[in-house]
Amino acid sequence: MGETVVKKAVRIEKEDNVAVAVQNIAAGDSVKCGEVSIVALDNIPEGHKIAVSSISKGENIVKYAVTIGLASGDIRAGEYVHSHNVEDITDKLCNEYEKQFRSMEG
Amino acid sequence: MDRINAYIRPDGRIGIRNYILVISMVSCSNTVTERIARATGAISVVHEQGCTEFEHDHKRTKLGLISAGRNPNVGGVLLVGLGCEKTNIEEVKNAIAETGKPVESMLIQKEGGSPQAEKKGISLVEKLREIISDEKRQSCTLEGLVVGVQCGGSDWTTALSGNTAIGVMTDLVIKNGGSVLMSEVAGFPGSEHIVASRAVSHEVGLQVLDMISELREEYIETYGQKIEEVNPTPGNKAGGITTLVEKSMGNIKKMGTSPVQGVLKLGEEIPRPGLWVIDNRAQGPDAFNLTGLAMEGAVLTAFSTGRGSPVGNAVMPTLKLTGNPETFGRLESMIDFNAGVIIEGASIEETGRRLYELLLEIANGRETKSEINCDFEYTIPREAARKK
Repeated sequence: MGETVVKKAVRIEKEDNVAVAVQNIAAGDSVKCGEVSIVALDNIPEGHKIAVSSISKGENIVKYAVTIGLASGDIRAGEYVHSHNVEDITDKLCNEYEKQFRSMEG
Repeated sequence: MDRINAYIRPDGRIGIRNYILVISMVSCSNTVTERIARATGAISVVHEQGCTEFEHDHKRTKLGLISAGRNPNVGGVLLVGLGCEKTNIEEVKNAIAETGKPVESMLIQKEGGSPQAEKKGISLVEKLREIISDEKRQSCTLEGLVVGVQCGGSDWTTALSGNTAIGVMTDLVIKNGGSVLMSEVAGFPGSEHIVASRAVSHEVGLQVLDMISELREEYIETYGQKIEEVNPTPGNKAGGITTLVEKSMGNIKKMGTSPVQGVLKLGEEIPRPGLWVIDNRAQGPDAFNLTGLAMEGAVLTAFSTGRGSPVGNAVMPTLKLTGNPETFGRLESMIDFNAGVIIEGASIEETGRRLYELLLEIANGRETKSEINCDFEYTIPREAARKK
């Protein structure tokens, strides 16, 4: 039996539901994200994201304490989070905000 | 409120150094300028312009040279011209002397040639040094202190551990009454709604949105595609970035969470302390943007670099940090701070606070690696002629 290695991921803001792997993580590894410990369900390369909590389809993916996209399927804690399960809604976020902002009075 | 010991200039601005600058008026006087600086230990500003340039380019050259001399870190200035160039040395001299600092000038053609000019220049720098030698640091608040933030030579750690630490530092500078300048606006699209939501007023929010709309239109005109269609790039995605909001937030993070006071163009005075966006759209190597910050009056810039960069500036110390602990280990000779401890488990908050403390030490006189290594770039950012 090999030693259990605890891998690390950095959760930037406490509101974030994803953390950034700071080394390559293999499925089954224990991962420490600040106060929270989770088990990785996928292989996650260094610099890529891991879900810290479960995120239902259509819910916001939150990093830097802001919405960076929408879950395009149900995501379990410990899953790899990237283009395969995230919808990029940048256009919508920017356009809707701008439209609303410009319609407000100064 | 924290205090620093700095040079309080006659115009009320705060300098953290008392540099003597030798500024070349035209590329023809670059070598003499450099020789004078080398012989005296002064810092030179040389460039490839100053004559036979179009009017809007020349305007930018003059702004760059005048702003160098006016920067509060500069105690005295020697201007070196040829004699027949387009740059009007008297105009530059008067604009710098307005700040109350001593300014000397000379023309190579009038001095009788390069060796004569070099000799005279050396004695003029010695005279300037004598004049400014009794200027002393005084205790002051951070009001009047202007700090720039930038990143370059990035890797996957820059957004994670470099820029997040800078963000904490930014908020502490603002909280203590100082100013922070952020100018990488080409990296705003995708997060303009976040920046606008932090604006101090509706008017400022509109300023931000108008600037980014213009940038988006320029992008389509130039490349025939929307920014979103080509971003994040395949390289970004391979590095773990999923969406454009995520990519641009990595840049925006340097601004912390402080209110945005307004958008300024290069050359516009900073009206009051706080966090300001500088509309400098110059695209190019890091020294262009860094010089833009110095031109706008920054006296110190925190620069985060994942891969490591030697960049520095002729008129301001550059506090370099890396979010990558391996880069720090390899390139410590040119990097001042290791924010890579965040990757090894240290908190972002605590690391950012330590970065702020180092910034205060540097403001009080501690030399940066950029100064020790004499990395004194001055690269005036160029602006494409605007249609409007």
